[in-house]
Amino acid sequence: MKKPFAIILLATLFSCQQSVTRVAPDTQIDLSGRWNDSDSRLVADKMISELMASERFKEYAKEKGRKPAIVVGLIRNKTSEHIDSDTYIKKLEVAIYNSNVAEVVESEEFRDKLRLERAQQQDFADPATVAQWGKEIGANLMLFGEMTSETDTSNKKRVVNYITTLYLTDIETGKRVWYGQQEIKKFVKNG
Amino acid sequence: MNTAKSLRLAFSFFALVTLQACATYYQQHLDFNYEFEHGDLQQALNALKGSEAESKSRFLFFANKGLLLSVLGDYEESNAFLEKAFLFGEDYRINYFNEGVSYFTNPNFTVYRGEDHEHLMVLYFKAINYLKMNQPQDALVECRRLNIRLNQLTDKYSSPHKLQRDAFIHALMGIIYQSTKDYNNAFIAYRNALDVYENEYAKMFHMTVPEQLQKDLVNTAYWTGFMDEFENYKTKFGMQDYTPVQPDAELVFFWHNGLAPVKTEWGINFVIAPGPGNTMLFTNESMGMVFSFPVEEENDRRGLAALQIYRVVFPRYVERPLYFQTANLETNGTEYPLQLAEDVSKVAFQSLRQRMLQEFAKGLLRAALKKVTEQSLRKKDEGLGALLGVVNAATEKADTRNWQTLPHSIFYSRIPLVADEKNEVKLKLLPGEGSGTDYSFTYQPQKGRTLFHTFSSLESLAPSYSF
Repeated sequence: MKKPFAIILLATLFSCQQSVTRVAPDTQIDLSGRWNDSDSRLVADKMISELMASERFKEYAKEKGRKPAIVVGLIRNKTSEHIDSDTYIKKLEVAIYNSNVAEVVESEEFRDKLRLERAQQQDFADPATVAQWGKEIGANLMLFGEMTSETDTSNKKRVVNYITTLYLTDIETGKRVWYGQQEIKKFVKNG
Repeated sequence: MNTAKSLRLAFSFFALVTLQACATYYQQHLDFNYEFEHGDLQQALNALKGSEAESKSRFLFFANKGLLLSVLGDYEESNAFLEKAFLFGEDYRINYFNEGVSYFTNPNFTVYRGEDHEHLMVLYFKAINYLKMNQPQDALVECRRLNIRLNQLTDKYSSPHKLQRDAFIHALMGIIYQSTKDYNNAFIAYRNALDVYENEYAKMFHMTVPEQLQKDLVNTAYWTGFMDEFENYKTKFGMQDYTPVQPDAELVFFWHNGLAPVKTEWGINFVIAPGPGNTMLFTNESMGMVFSFPVEEENDRRGLAALQIYRVVFPRYVERPLYFQTANLETNGTEYPLQLAEDVSKVAFQSLRQRMLQEFAKGLLRAALKKVTEQSLRKKDEGLGALLGVVNAATEKADTRNWQTLPHSIFYSRIPLVADEKNEVKLKLLPGEGSGTDYSFTYQPQKGRTLFHTFSSLESLAPSYSF
C-alpha cells in the first residue's frame, strides 16, 4: 500500500515545469536529426568561403572590369523535408554584400514591388525626388541551387545525406562561373 | 425543514451527482449534441457554456466553438478559438497531482489533452479559414505548424505498426503551398502524402491513393521543373497522355461527411489472484490479458484476493456510420467525384487501439489502488471502509472525452473555374440507398485565385451501440 502512495507523492513533487534558456545562435543543438539551423549555418559558411576563394569568380569579375551584379534565382528542394532555402541564401547575400566583391540586386518578387512603387511615384511624388525609369542595374549572374537528400532506414536507425549545390550562371552566356557544394550526413538512432 | 425532508434532499443531490458522474461526456452535453446533430448550429453554439473555457475539458470547448463558428462562416472568431486550442496543445504540461488523484477517482480528474489527430484537425480548420478569408500567408503559418506537429507525431511513435504519419495533412499542406504557387513545397508535401497513403493507410485503413493527389503530384512536379519525376509518376499512375494545364482559377472543395465517433465506456471483468513474489495478477483469460502489480503488504494481498473478480472500465469508440456514401461536383457538364482523403473515424479508432494496453494498465492500477485503500480503511474502521467502497464504485469511470463535432470522413476534389465569370457548381450527395440530395453554389473568382469551400453534411446512420 505504501509504495504506490510514495510513487504518486514523488511524482507530484517533481511535476513537469517548462523552462526556457537563451543560447548563443551558433550553438549546435540537435534534437530530431532533421535539417535545422546548424545545417543552414554550415551550408552558408561553406558556400561563402568557397565563393570568396574562387579563382574563376575573381577572373570573371576582372574580365567584367566592375563588380558583377548577382540576382538570386531558383533554389530547388528535392528532399522530403520542407526546408526554407532563405535561411542560408540570406546569409550568403549578406556575406557578398559586406565583402564588396559583387553587387546584389533584388529578385523578381521584390523588383515587381519596386516597379510598382516607382510607377506610383511618377503620379504622386515631387518631380525633384521621383525615382527614374531605366536606371536599374542589370544582373550579370544568377544564383541557382538544388538540395537533394538520400535516406536509408533500418528499424530505429536512419542515415540521411543532404547535398546542397549552389551555382552562379552568367545570364548573357549561360556559362557556369562558380559551383559550391556542401554535404551533411546524419546518423540518427531512436530509442 | 424536517430531518426526513433534509435526508431526501441530500439523497437526491447525491443521486444527481452520481448520475452526472456516471454519464459519458456525450451524455453530459446532450443539449449541445441534440442541436448540433439536428443542424441548428446557432443553438448548439448557445448551448456551449462559457464556464467550460476554464474546465478540464477546455481543449474540447475551444475546438467545438472554433469548428461551429467556422461552419457558420465566422472565420475570424473561429480562428480565435482554434488558436486557443492550438496554444493549449503547445503549452500542455502533465499535472502530476491531478494524475495522482485520478488513480483514486477516475481519469476525468485530469485535463483532457486531446488526441493526436484532434490537434492536427485544429490546424486544418484554421488554415482553411485563412484560405477562405484570402490570407494565404497566414495559412502558410498553419502549414508550418502542421509540419512541426507531423514531425512530433513521427518522433512520438517509433513502431511502424503505429500511426506515425497523417496522409491527409501532408496532402493538405500540398494544397496550401500550391494555392500560394509554391509548387516545389507542394510537390514535397504531395510526395510525402503518397508515401503514407501507399503504405500506412493502405495497410491500416484499406484506403487507396486519391486520384486528385496523383494529378496534383504530377502537376507540381511539372511546374517545379522536375521532369524525371513528372515522367515517372505519369507512368506509375497510368497517365501517359496527361498534360498539365493551368486553369484560369480553381476551386478546392472539401466535403465533411458525417460525424466522428463518440467515446463511451466498456467494462472487463478481471480475476484477481496472487502471483509470484509480492504480486497480484489481474487476468482476463478470454481476452488473453494478464497484468501484474506489486502489493507489498500481505494483508492487502489477502484483501485483494478475497475480491476474486473486479470490473474495470475503459474508453471505447462507437462509430456513427455514414449516411451519404459518395458525392460529386458538376460544372459545365463535367462531373468531378469527391474522393476520400481522410477517414477521421478510422484514425480515431486506430489511435485508441494502439494505446489500449496502456489504457488497460492505467485502469487496472486505478482499480487496484482503490481496492487496496478500501481494504486498509476497512481494517481500521469497517463503516468508513464500506463508505469508501461506495464512493469508489460511484466514481469509477472511463475518460469518454473526445472531439465529437469532427466529421466522420473528409472528401475533396479540385475543379477548374473560369475567371471573372459566374461558375455554377452543383454538389450531389448520394446515400447508399434512395435518392440523392443536391446543392448549388456560384463562384466568381479572380484570375489565378484558388477558392476554398467546405461543406458539412451531419447526417449519420444509427450507431450499433447506444451512447
